[in-house]
Amino acid sequence: MSDARKWGASALIWLLLLAMPWWLPLVGGYQELGTRVLVMALAAMSLNFLLGFTGVLSFGHAAYFGLGAYGVGMVLKFLVPSTLVGILAGVAVGTVAAAIIGAMIVRLRGVYFAMVTIAFGQVFYFIAFRWNSVTGGDDGMTGWKRQPIDLGFAQLDIGNDRIFFYLVLALFAAAVGIMALLLRSPFGRTLLAIRENERRARYLGIPVERHIWLSFVISCAFVSLAGTLYALLNNFTDPRALRWDLSGNFVIMAVLGGMRSFWGPLIGAAIFVALQDYVSSQTSNWMSIIGLFFVLVVLFFPRGVLGVFRRKAGS
Amino acid sequence: MTQLILFNVFNGLVVGAFYALMALGLSLILNLSGVINFAHGGFLAIGAYLAFTLMPYIGFWGGLLVAPVLTAVIGLAVERVLIRRLYGRDPLYSLLLTFGLAYIFEDGTRIIWGAQSLPYQIPGWLTRPLSSQLFFLTGYRVFMVVLVAVAVVGLFVILSRTRLGMRIRAGTLDLETVSVLGVNVRLLRNLNFGLGIYLAGLAGVLAAGLLGLQPTIGASLIMPSFVAIIVGGLGSLPGTLLGGLLIGVASGLATVFMPSASEAVIYVMMALVLLVRPRGLLGEEGRVQ
Amino acid sequence: MTLLQVEGVSRHFGSLVAVDNVSLEVAPGELRAVIGPNGAGKTTFFNMISGFVAPTAGRIVFDGRDITATPPHQRVGVGIARTFQITEIFPELSVRENLRIPVEVAAGLRVSPWISRATDRQVRGRVAELLEMGGLAEKADRLVGELSHGDQRAAEILMALALKPRLLLLDEPTAGMGERETYEVTQLVRRLHKDQKLSIVLIEHDMRVVFHLAERIMVLAEGAVLAEGTSAEIAADERVQAAYLGKAA
Repeated sequence: MSDARKWGASALIWLLLLAMPWWLPLVGGYQELGTRVLVMALAAMSLNFLLGFTGVLSFGHAAYFGLGAYGVGMVLKFLVPSTLVGILAGVAVGTVAAAIIGAMIVRLRGVYFAMVTIAFGQVFYFIAFRWNSVTGGDDGMTGWKRQPIDLGFAQLDIGNDRIFFYLVLALFAAAVGIMALLLRSPFGRTLLAIRENERRARYLGIPVERHIWLSFVISCAFVSLAGTLYALLNNFTDPRALRWDLSGNFVIMAVLGGMRSFWGPLIGAAIFVALQDYVSSQTSNWMSIIGLFFVLVVLFFPRGVLGVFRRKAGS
Repeated sequence: MTQLILFNVFNGLVVGAFYALMALGLSLILNLSGVINFAHGGFLAIGAYLAFTLMPYIGFWGGLLVAPVLTAVIGLAVERVLIRRLYGRDPLYSLLLTFGLAYIFEDGTRIIWGAQSLPYQIPGWLTRPLSSQLFFLTGYRVFMVVLVAVAVVGLFVILSRTRLGMRIRAGTLDLETVSVLGVNVRLLRNLNFGLGIYLAGLAGVLAAGLLGLQPTIGASLIMPSFVAIIVGGLGSLPGTLLGGLLIGVASGLATVFMPSASEAVIYVMMALVLLVRPRGLLGEEGRVQ
Repeated sequence: MTLLQVEGVSRHFGSLVAVDNVSLEVAPGELRAVIGPNGAGKTTFFNMISGFVAPTAGRIVFDGRDITATPPHQRVGVGIARTFQITEIFPELSVRENLRIPVEVAAGLRVSPWISRATDRQVRGRVAELLEMGGLAEKADRLVGELSHGDQRAAEILMALALKPRLLLLDEPTAGMGERETYEVTQLVRRLHKDQKLSIVLIEHDMRVVFHLAERIMVLAEGAVLAEGTSAEIAADERVQAAYLGKAA
C-alpha cells in the first residue's frame, strides 16, 4: 500500500470514529456498544504492538487490563473522586506490574513465554476473586462511578455517554498516536527486526531481551489504559476483566483484523464485539459460537481482514 | 497438630497427584508438538461426563476403564481433523484453536448434560477410611493416589520400553532427524496427542469421584497444570511430575497455616522458580530459547 | 599489532570435541580463509568468535580487549560483524528496511523513539551508499525474502557492513550458489577488502574463491589446526590435499 493510500485510509478511519455517535444507531448499534468497541480496539491494538510488531505471543494481557480496571475503581471508591487520578493510578499499577513480570519472563520464548503469561494472568484473577473485602470478589466492585472532570474553564460531564465516548476517543487517539510514532522510529524498527529474525537482530547489535521487555511494558501500559476506560464505561469491574478468556479475545481480535497491519486490531475488535453482542442476545450458548468462531478464523482466515491486502514474501 | 498437618499434606499429595496427571498429558503434547492444549480441561470434563453416562451400563470400574479410552479417541479425531493443520505455523494459531475448543467443550458439556452439578457414585467400600487413626485416609483418596502412580509408571514404561515411547522421546529431542529416519511423524504426533488426552480423561474420571461433575470442572484444574510444568521444568516429564506433586503438597501445607493463601502458594512458587531458575527445576537448557 | 587474537580455544559438547586448541591471529586489513572438510569445526569456531557459543577453554582478544565472555550484541559494538551459513535476513521487510536497521544501530539510534529530519537524511544516504556498493539499488524496495539467493547473501553482507565493523566474519558466503552468483559475491568481498580496508575472516568450501581472495589460509580438520600458511604453501601441502582428496583448485 503506497503512503498516500495509507494516509487516506487512516483519515477515513478517524472520520468514521469521530462521527460514530451519529451513524452507529443507523446500523442498529447503540452508544455504549460504540465506546466498548473503541476500548477493546485500544486493548487489541496495544496487544498487537507486542504480538504483531515485535512477534511475541502474550496470552495474559487481560491481567494488565484488569489491573487498570480495578485501579481506577479502587481510587474512585476509596481514595478520591477524581477520574483523572483514577486513570493515572490504573495505568501506573498496570505498567509497574508489567515491568516487574516482564523482567522475570523475558528470557523465555515462544510457547513457554505464552504459558507463563497465562499463568501470571491467573494470579491477578485469583487475587481479585479472593480479596473480597476490597474487590467485592466474584460479584465485582460497585459503589463508584465516573466523575465529571474539572478542566478549570469547564466541567466535562462524562456521566453523559456521548461525552464519555469523546473522552475515550481522545485518549485512544493519544495512545494510538504514540504507538504509531514508536513503530516508525528507529526503536520501532528494532522491534520489527526482532519479529523477523531474532538471531539476526542480536547479531546486528540489538539487545533483544531488553527491547522485548520495553515492548512488553509499552504494550501493557496501553492495555491498562484500556482497562481503566472499560471500568469507567460500566462503572463496574469484576474478575472477568482479568480472566484468560479476555486475553484470548484480545488475541483473536488482533488476528481477525490482521496482525501485521496497524489498524487491523481495530477492525477485529469491531467485528468481534458486534458479534459477541449479537450472539449473546440471541442465545445462551454464545460460548460455543464464539469458540467455533475462533476455530474457523484460525483455520480459514489466519491473516485477517487487512492481511488480505498486504503482500507477503514468497506468495 | 500433627494430625492436621498430616491430613493436609496427604490431601496435598492427592491434589498434587491430580495436577501431575493433568500436567503430564499437557507436557507430552507440548514437548513433542509444541502445542499448548488449552482444551485439556475440556477433555478432562468429557472423560468425567462419559464415565457418568456409561455408569448405569458398565458400572464404576467399567467407566474407569472405558471413559478415558473414549476420550482419547475423541482426542485422536480432534488432532487429525483440526490441530494437524497448524503444525507448520506460528504456535499462536494452535493456542487460539485449542482456546476455541475449550469454549466449545465447556459449553457443549453444558448443553448435553446440563449446567447443574451431577453426583458421581463411587463404590461404597472405597469411601471408608482405612483406619480409625488416620481417618483422612479414605479409601477413595488412597485409591486415587495409587491409580495415578500406576498410570505414571505405565506412562514411563511406555516411554522407555515401547517403540512408540522411544519414538516420542526421540521426536521430542529432534523431530526432523526422527522423520528422516523413516518414522511417520504425523502418526506419531497423533498417537502422542491421544496418549496425553487419555491421561486427561483418566484424571476426569478420578476427579468426578472426588469433586462431583460440573461443566467447569476442567477449567479449574488446568491452571495448576500449567504451573506444574513451569515449576517442574519445561521439556521434562519427570520434572512435570515433580512439579505437580510439589505444588500440591505446598498448597496442602499452606492450608494449615494460612488457608486463604493455599492457592496463592502455587503462583508464588512459580514466581520463585522463574526468578531463580527460569527453565524449571528439572528443565533442560535448550528449551528456554 | 593484531586486531583479533584467538588463543587456544576449544569447545567440548559433552565428550565430543568440536574445536581443539585452535589459535588464530588476524592483523588489521588482512583477509584470512578458514577451510577444512565438513565437520571440521569451522562454524563452531566462528560461533565462538562472534559470541554465539562460549569456549570451554581459551581466550579471545579483540583490539587488546578480552571479549571471551562478552554477549553477541555487545561484540557488534566492539566491531565484529558476521554473516551466517544459512542467510539470516529480515524476510518480510524490504532491502532498504533491512539495511536501515543496522545503519541506525551503528549510529547509536537503536532505542531512539524519534529521529530528526537531518539524521533521517543521513541514514537514508548511508543506506543508498550501501545499496550502490552491493549492486542492489534497483531492488531496494522489494521484500528481501523474494530476492534470489545471491542477492539475499549480498544484502546480508551489506547489513554486516552497515555496522561499520573492524572485523567481518563471513560463514560460507558462496554456499549453494551457481557460477555467476559466486563470482558476484566474490567480487563484492574483494571490493570490501580493498576499498573499505576491512579485516575479513571467511569460511569457504569453494577453493577457487579461497585462492582468489585469501592471503593466508588456516586449515582445520577434526577440530584442530592441520596447517596454516600462505595460499601457495597450503596449495602445496600434502596433508591438506590428503584431507580434502580431490577438492584442490
